[in-house]
Amino acid sequence: MLTQEQPREVTQLLLAWNDGDESALEKLVPLVYHELRHLAQRRMRLERPDHTLQTTALINEAYLRLVDVHNVHWQNRAHFFALCARLMRRILVDYARTRHYAKRGGGAQAISLDQSLPVAAGRSPDLVAVDEALHALAGVDARKAQVVELRFFGGLTVEETAEVLKVSPETVRRDWRLAKVWLLRELSGVRQDA
Amino acid sequence: MPKRWSQVEELYHSAAALQPEERDAFLQQACVGDQALRQEVESLLAHEQQAEGFIESPAAEVAAGLMADGEQHSLVGREVGHYRIVSLLGEGGMSVVYKAEDTRLHRFVALKFLPGEMAHDAAALERFRREAEAASALNHPNICTVHDIGEQDGEHFIAMEFMEGKTLKRAIEGKPLPLEQVLDLGIQIADGLDAAHAKDIIHRDIKPSNIFVTERGHAKILDFGLAKLGPQQRRSPVETESVTGPGMVMGTAEYMSPEQALGEKVDARTDLFSFGAVLYEMATGQVAFGGNIPGVILDAILNKGPTPPARLNPDLPPRLVRIINQALEKDRERRYQTASQLRADLQRLKRDSDSGQISAWQEIFRAGVRLNWPRSAALAAGRIGLAVLLVLGAWFAALRTRGPAIDSLAVLPFVNTSADASTDYLSDGITESVINNLSQLPSLRVMARGTVFRYKGKENDPLKIGRDLHVRSVLSGRLAHRDNVVVVQAELIDVGNGSRLWGGQYSRKMADVFALQEDLSSEISEKLRLRLTGEEKQRLTKRYTENAEAYQLYLKGRYFWNKGSEDGAKKGIECFQQAIEKDPNYAPAYAGMAEAYNQLAAFAWLPPHEVVPKAKAAALKALEIDEQVADAHAALGYASIIYDYDWPAAKKHYERALALSPSSPQWSYSLYYSTLGLSNEALAEDKHALSLDPLSLLTNFRMGRDLYMARRFDEAIEQFKKMLEMDPNAPLAHYQLGLAYAEKGMFREALSELEKYAALSRRTPLSLAFMGNVLARSGERTRALQLLAELKEASKQRYVFPISFARIYVGLGDKEQAFAWLEKGYEERAAPLFYLKVDPIWDPLRSDPRFNDLLRRIGLYP
Repeated sequence: MLTQEQPREVTQLLLAWNDGDESALEKLVPLVYHELRHLAQRRMRLERPDHTLQTTALINEAYLRLVDVHNVHWQNRAHFFALCARLMRRILVDYARTRHYAKRGGGAQAISLDQSLPVAAGRSPDLVAVDEALHALAGVDARKAQVVELRFFGGLTVEETAEVLKVSPETVRRDWRLAKVWLLRELSGVRQDA
Repeated sequence: MPKRWSQVEELYHSAAALQPEERDAFLQQACVGDQALRQEVESLLAHEQQAEGFIESPAAEVAAGLMADGEQHSLVGREVGHYRIVSLLGEGGMSVVYKAEDTRLHRFVALKFLPGEMAHDAAALERFRREAEAASALNHPNICTVHDIGEQDGEHFIAMEFMEGKTLKRAIEGKPLPLEQVLDLGIQIADGLDAAHAKDIIHRDIKPSNIFVTERGHAKILDFGLAKLGPQQRRSPVETESVTGPGMVMGTAEYMSPEQALGEKVDARTDLFSFGAVLYEMATGQVAFGGNIPGVILDAILNKGPTPPARLNPDLPPRLVRIINQALEKDRERRYQTASQLRADLQRLKRDSDSGQISAWQEIFRAGVRLNWPRSAALAAGRIGLAVLLVLGAWFAALRTRGPAIDSLAVLPFVNTSADASTDYLSDGITESVINNLSQLPSLRVMARGTVFRYKGKENDPLKIGRDLHVRSVLSGRLAHRDNVVVVQAELIDVGNGSRLWGGQYSRKMADVFALQEDLSSEISEKLRLRLTGEEKQRLTKRYTENAEAYQLYLKGRYFWNKGSEDGAKKGIECFQQAIEKDPNYAPAYAGMAEAYNQLAAFAWLPPHEVVPKAKAAALKALEIDEQVADAHAALGYASIIYDYDWPAAKKHYERALALSPSSPQWSYSLYYSTLGLSNEALAEDKHALSLDPLSLLTNFRMGRDLYMARRFDEAIEQFKKMLEMDPNAPLAHYQLGLAYAEKGMFREALSELEKYAALSRRTPLSLAFMGNVLARSGERTRALQLLAELKEASKQRYVFPISFARIYVGLGDKEQAFAWLEKGYEERAAPLFYLKVDPIWDPLRSDPRFNDLLRRIGLYP
């Protein structure tokens, strides 16, 4: 469990990671996993997957536990949000990748994620694929890619995203809307190519 | 950023803001000469719909979902034997179940695995094997079929029939299931259990999560993992006890039978208890025996009954409640003995409630007429209604020819299902109105209020009550009161064969609440196949007021008055008065008031000369409005005896009351005979009253008192002892028993009873008088004189019958004082003087001419 002292430690780790210290990430991963497990257990108890609202609240709670946002100096707040989103993207996508691989299990016939997960079918996007498409989007429009990173991986609201990017919320909404169709087109293209 | 991308972006947003059918024209114009640009924008727009929910939940949620599934999906994609595992179906503490494809037979199966850590547990393994063995011995549509059992790489599995649907637990999810489904599934589960029990297999862990409901509505019993195999099923040398451990508590706490909870030997009846808890949950949406800790649950199972189902679901038919209760009997001897018995009861109920749907159509028909539906709709509904009526008519015709009329009925107090106890007056009042209404029918013996209300607030079995009371039919019902609407649901049962004669639901606005009793009364008389004269029919549905408020106040008045206390009588009078203010021509309200005033006098709560004249005036007013109000005649009869000393008048009033309402034992007609010394007639009346009101303390008291007045002391003592068995604290029984002992010279016993009476009644003047008399007669003059002083002191505070002083003086042998106080009593017309002729207590005075003179004056000397 995270103790009261830990947020400060997390902050240090985040900063170190930002400075290029990859070993800091290794220390952060278990902390994120811990929160993830917490979420997963809650989710299993809720039994039904359509509890987005509760889950979003839980995630925000988790972030607050992970990063001591209130203790971070105001000017740095946006920076920290961005940093957290990046961290989450990295860890979550890595996690999805290992799970995905585990499922393919030693070269046996590949079962697509959706087929093996009836609960998630049609609802949950493939994080690995989204991550790849997001890399492509960054090549076309970096800000839109960042909007997606902050909102989807970072769990930020439109307003928080606007604050981090120093644009109007309306711009965030427009970016978000276009980015989503762009990503979907990209994802469907990937599937066609495969 | 490339300029082209900005262009795409602008066009996309502009187009997206348009209606889909306008977009083509817009893009054609905007992208003139640049087909590639148009294609680019269109390809983005094409994903617009898909985008709606896309990545809207945060990635952490997606990952948590993966983790949740991942932790359960360790075997997905693998091949085990000739099964290819497709997906996870469910997971419990003892097993994990996957959907798998049978690669040989090309069908889906459910593969159940023992979780890795359990595979090394010999007991768990044995249970696992046992499940396969038990279930494979059974081939029944309501038991999940086991195809195969196997092991690969240390993974033990059972291959079972694959079903689509959900567990009963998920189907219930805190809400009652529709009745039809409760019965359908219940019958199937009972059938499955019957099949298992027939093979000597006891499931031992019946619970909602072990019952699967397929998409087609079939119930399948799962998980025979705890099953106990009978001798004919036991193929392996492993003894049952070695698996569960002797006395070890197995099964899920909430659904455990009491014998399971106690670690006793179990038999098939244990499954029926658990099944009862499942039925309860299906019917109410709530766990029958709940609690946060096992200790609390076990205590509930062993010692407590669940919340009455009707409280949780007012729509439940009482017969289902009865079935559930019988299945949940803690003593297995009193439970259903076999699953087939339970199934038969559920089937009967299902059959009857299927035919009960007819009345719903009838309701629609009526509603169509009432609400002035468009003509065509009303006509259509009318046609349906007509058809239904024809069917009903034929049915009743068949019934009529089939059997004789049912001649006796007990109306159980309607259960008030509103949480609000302050509306009890409505449920009680409507019950009483129905009783009083039906008591008017000479061909029907109706159990009196005093008896049936002893069952109030108890979850009782109408059939058993019917048998105990020796009636041929029982009416039970529930009343709900919500937002100015009263809903009554009632059910009439034939005690002889347990069948439902009739069931119905009425919903009325509060302003129309009197219609309820009318509907019920006429419906019941019809269903009991009583032949009524035109006048009887008319009286049955007679409405004494059109003012709903007055009617409610009247019901409230009866409610208070029935409490039988001084305060209750006074409050009752207030309510009757208010009812009269609402409707000055409301005869029963006057009658109620008369009875309440009489009661105040009878118990010496107020001096008779203050209240009896009021009682008489009210009763006369009632009869002036409507001569057929039986209660008013009875009130006059009573006043004639206790106040007017006018026995011939009393006889006239009582006889009229009885003619109007033949089975109303609440009026003390026996008092007329008893006071005149006609003990045989009095006892005959008491016997008749007891046949209608066997459990009423008052009716039983009258029987004992009249035995005493007839000087049949031994029988009187027996009668009072019987009363004390019914209620050890019945004050009336203690004092009259004490007096009976005194007449037998058993002063010690007599004083002990009178002490109890004095304590229970908080030393009322009456109790002091009785005790003073007996003390004096037993030779304890000093103590008798002390009581005399206490009585005199008390008379300064409250009204004391002058006759009470006479009682002590006659005990002391002081004739002068005794006569003096009797004279005073005569002047004040103080109640118990009417027993002067027969009460043994006055025997020492009888030879005195003054006594006969007094008797003559009060009309008791022949």
